[in-house]
Amino acid sequence: MKRIAIDPISRLEGHGKITIFLNEEGAVENAYLQIPELRGFEKFVEGLPVEEIPRVVTRICGV
Amino acid sequence: MKLKIGIYWGAACGGCDVAILDTHEKLLEIADMADIYLWPIAMDFKYSDVRAMKDGYLDAVLFSGGVRNSENEEIAKLLRRKAKAMIALGACAQLGGVPGLANMYTREEVLRRVYLESESTTNEKGIMPLESSKEDGFDLELPRLYNTVKTLNQVVDVDYTIPGCPPASLQIYSALGLIADDMLPKKGSVIGAGDRALCDECARKKGEKTITRIYRTHEKLPDAETCFLEQGFICLGPATRSGCGSRCIKSWTPCRGCYGPLDDVSDQGIKMVSALASVMEPKEEKDINALLDTVVDPLRTFHRFSLASSILRRKKA
Ligand code: SF4
Ligand code: SF4
Repeated sequence: MKRIAIDPISRLEGHGKITIFLNEEGAVENAYLQIPELRGFEKFVEGLPVEEIPRVVTRICGV
Repeated sequence: MKLKIGIYWGAACGGCDVAILDTHEKLLEIADMADIYLWPIAMDFKYSDVRAMKDGYLDAVLFSGGVRNSENEEIAKLLRRKAKAMIALGACAQLGGVPGLANMYTREEVLRRVYLESESTTNEKGIMPLESSKEDGFDLELPRLYNTVKTLNQVVDVDYTIPGCPPASLQIYSALGLIADDMLPKKGSVIGAGDRALCDECARKKGEKTITRIYRTHEKLPDAETCFLEQGFICLGPATRSGCGSRCIKSWTPCRGCYGPLDDVSDQGIKMVSALASVMEPKEEKDINALLDTVVDPLRTFHRFSLASSILRRKKA
């Protein structure tokens, strides 16, 4: 089985890769989009003073 | 000769990339100055293109974002080999930045919250990201999420740093000019920023500071002209490098320190605690401590952008 990786996927905010599996005839057997990144805002904003939230969560995406 | 540059991001938000784009019409001058050989947010080059380059092929790499997983580290090391100058772009690469606050928790606590416990997560089978897995017989790999967010210079040798969250666009433009004109200062320098504290360029009026009470921003309206710190609002100006253009201060918001520490200061947050203690009215240690104790959430206030680079670094395992 042949494998093609599109890594990284581009022209978007964030990290991603696409892995495509080809069978013996060269046809696509399956393809996966994977998101290899995680920062964990869901955890580290817990308990943050509410007035500070706006300028912390703006760092989730700056685009 | 035209520069060859690469622009990349680790654990980032894309804001540093947008700050480059926000140079607006100067972007055309940047395009005259440099050819870009990697820039995921805007161009289609792949890691395989970078791997195919000779070592030292690129004149400079601008690397934003911290090092959060094995992919960030692998690409940082790859780009280090390909670049004559490795430049940390922005607070996350320099100090860990806001994502560095994850160092308050362990990797497992972060994963559990995100994939199992968060209010907006539906994950009945309890599926967690795996470094290698088999889906319908197909082998798939993901990078390893590290327990500790690292700064760029904790994994590779960094030649220069452009601070800020995000760096002011014109500062990035002027830093690129330094590379193009071969005017870079000595290795290890911060470029595209000032060399004094933010307070020195802040337009608010400064008098004698004798703080008797700490205020949160919703607890009283600050007056329009006086230094925030003098009015009892925590402002990181004394411990923060100038160069941002006082953008938060001008928006009636006390500084949280995104431009990082001044030269020769290893821990910005602790520098701020000491600056704060010195402008309080109480002079006895126990009274100073009592007033400091009224700061809500000191860790994420004093080390908002710099926890991963601080001497505290992370929660004990
Ligand atoms: S503490 Fe803040 S408000 Fe006061 S002078 Fe410094 S930067 Fe300006
Ligand atoms: S005032 Fe402070 S937090 Fe705001 S942009 Fe300037 S250095 Fe960053």
